[in-house]
Amino acid sequence: MNLERLPNEEKLTLCRKYYFGGFAFLPFLWLVNVVWFFKEAFVEPTYTEQLQIKTYVKRSGLGFLLWVAVLTTWITIFQHFRAEWGEVGDYLSFTIPLGIP
Amino acid sequence: MFAEFAGKILEYFVERYRVHFVLDVSCNSVAQKIYVELNNTVPCVRLLNATHQIGCQSSISGDTGVIHVLESEADLEWPLSKGPNPPYMVLLESSLFTKSIMMKMKNASSRVAGVVVVQKTSPPEFSPHTTCPNENTGVYTETYDHNLAHCNTTVWNPRGNGLSYEEFDSPVFSLKEDNETEVIKQCYFDHNRVVNGSGLQYPLCAMQLFSHMHAVTDTATCMRRSSMDFSTSPVMVCDPLGGYNVCAFIRPYNSTAFGHKENESVVIAAARLDSRAFFLEDSTGAEGSVSGFVTLLAAAQALREATQEAPPTRNILFAFFHGEVFDYIGSSRMVYDMKNNMFVIDLDNVHSILEIGQVAVRSGTNLFLHSDPVSRRNNTVHDEVTNLVKNLQSSTAGLNFSLVETDFSQPLPPSSFQRLLRARAIPGIVLADHQTDINNRYYESFYDNAAHLNLTYPSNLSPEEQLEFVTDTAKSLTEVATAVARALFKQAGGNNSQVNKINADPKTVTQMLYGFLVRSNNSWFQAVMAPELKDILQPNPPQYYVGVAKSSHQANALTYLVQYLLANLTGTATNLTQSQCKKPDELPNESTYLYSYLWVQGVVPPNSTQRESFCVRTAVRLVKAVSPAFDLGDYISKEYSTWTKSQWKFIKARIFLVASRDLEMLTLGVGVAVLFTSLLVTYFVRTKADVLFSSVREPNNAAY
Repeated sequence: MNLERLPNEEKLTLCRKYYFGGFAFLPFLWLVNVVWFFKEAFVEPTYTEQLQIKTYVKRSGLGFLLWVAVLTTWITIFQHFRAEWGEVGDYLSFTIPLGIP
Repeated sequence: MFAEFAGKILEYFVERYRVHFVLDVSCNSVAQKIYVELNNTVPCVRLLNATHQIGCQSSISGDTGVIHVLESEADLEWPLSKGPNPPYMVLLESSLFTKSIMMKMKNASSRVAGVVVVQKTSPPEFSPHTTCPNENTGVYTETYDHNLAHCNTTVWNPRGNGLSYEEFDSPVFSLKEDNETEVIKQCYFDHNRVVNGSGLQYPLCAMQLFSHMHAVTDTATCMRRSSMDFSTSPVMVCDPLGGYNVCAFIRPYNSTAFGHKENESVVIAAARLDSRAFFLEDSTGAEGSVSGFVTLLAAAQALREATQEAPPTRNILFAFFHGEVFDYIGSSRMVYDMKNNMFVIDLDNVHSILEIGQVAVRSGTNLFLHSDPVSRRNNTVHDEVTNLVKNLQSSTAGLNFSLVETDFSQPLPPSSFQRLLRARAIPGIVLADHQTDINNRYYESFYDNAAHLNLTYPSNLSPEEQLEFVTDTAKSLTEVATAVARALFKQAGGNNSQVNKINADPKTVTQMLYGFLVRSNNSWFQAVMAPELKDILQPNPPQYYVGVAKSSHQANALTYLVQYLLANLTGTATNLTQSQCKKPDELPNESTYLYSYLWVQGVVPPNSTQRESFCVRTAVRLVKAVSPAFDLGDYISKEYSTWTKSQWKFIKARIFLVASRDLEMLTLGVGVAVLFTSLLVTYFVRTKADVLFSSVREPNNAAY
């Protein structure tokens, strides 16, 4: 979808939708928000709605980074310790590898 | 005209190569040009119990190693440290298959990708089993008698090196000495031989072994993973070991009435069916199990007439237990069933037990009677045991051997009787050819075969003549069977005057030994089997490994053979037709509650090609023998056997020539370089497209 053809209010509404949507445990919406609206928020010349769009983009970026940190930590811990956790590890797994603990 | 000419050339080539194309299309597969598949391999697989995993595991994409034929133990330095092309696949002859060599290779698993054992001559002694078999599931625990636990007084299998119970993380396969082994050796001599001093030249001959096992850690883990059904297709990773026990009463009971039988007293005559080896599918159990159960089968036949003419006061149960090697699966199941009213009698009905252990390899002329010292401290039990010993010793009158009691303080050898003792102090005796430790030099190994029992036939006999030839081993086992039968008759309260008429038949014994140790596909076995089961008879001896408990009512070949033989030797032939044999309840005098009716093939009479099949009425039944631990869901049980076998997808082995690592890296590098060059060229051509291609268009433009 080409943002150039949209009026500024619609751009703001779209950015806001993606920002609020990301709170429903959907960090990729925040990533999309950042990538898509980055040019609009920081590169384009100033217009009235740009300040709000800039806030949304910044907050989406922060939220996404937070998710990345949490998921990376959990995945590292799980991959490392799943074998030692025995039964608990097996119940948390969807697919259990064959032939290795 | 040019087209015509081209067409003619095309036709010519097509004609010439069409024939070749049709013939070669199946053999031209690139994979077949590279790999030579090895078909007759026996792998070492993974078994698990409550605490350990034993056996071998390969990686999921197979383990590849450069073949090295080991010549002596000192030659191990080459694969372990000196050789320049690790990892190696070590090829051993069976005489080098020892614990020290295997443990050295296990410790160097980064340089040894796997081991292949070629079966050749037997070493003087070899037992991969533990020194104290089934030490935790027998009766001698710390609480029963502290001094007798863990083989403190007598080590039953002193030659045992425990190799079968080690864990290897590289594949170990076994090959027979045949054409495939010759191919491997030829490949080795052509490519891998070290020329004095100079290093090896690539390409080298390599072998790849696939035996990836699905189960890990222990039985509880693998049973848990098998039963989790999150995903769409739950994967079974392991199966419990088990099979069927073969049981026959001389006076059968109603098979649907379980529990205690009033005023019934039963003497149990027991023997073990199964055996194992390091390579499970290669189990022969000549002295370990065959000697015992063949003697008991012959005794059952000897008792048939006497018990039918003058039935003794007590009943006799012939019990052939399966799965005894793996912590007494069969006997623990029977005791469990008896205690929980799931068997036709219970422990109160059991009067005494006589078990036939290993009886074929004597070190003198005597056989020995083993009893349990702890239960004999009780006077009643002691008196009963003494009575049983007296009955046994008097039964050898007129025979060429005598029975001697072992030292009073010596415990029982590993036997099914121990599981009955664990439940109740029952008087009993185990008959064996060894006084202290066992005489079997090849206990639970693949050398415990016909040659170990000195089963030799004169060379000019055909297979049918060999079947009928009475060997010395058969004669000595016949005498033991006669003594056992007479003792059982007396123990069951039979009339003493009839005893001397009870004699085992040497012809039956020698035919059984032939069928169980040389060829199972012989005329006698064919005659006693059912028509639908005749495919289990092979030109080799049957497998003695207990195998996996199948959910369908299918037993393995050994169980069926013993069932049908016992039916033939103790049952009666009836003149029911085949359809009547399937539904005998419709007839007035027949009852499937008491008997089972089996339709067997029968013999081929001379001058005829049709078999005279008939219906046998017999009291023989197959009783499920799976460890109670799996019914109770207690996979960490210390009480019952928890052995399971891992599942796998495929197991195969192949050899091929392998190139050096440098050549592989060079090929990869050249490929990557070609890729980048082509990308560059394409980019260049694209950006300069107008310059490169416009010169062709100019003359056309000029025409305008």
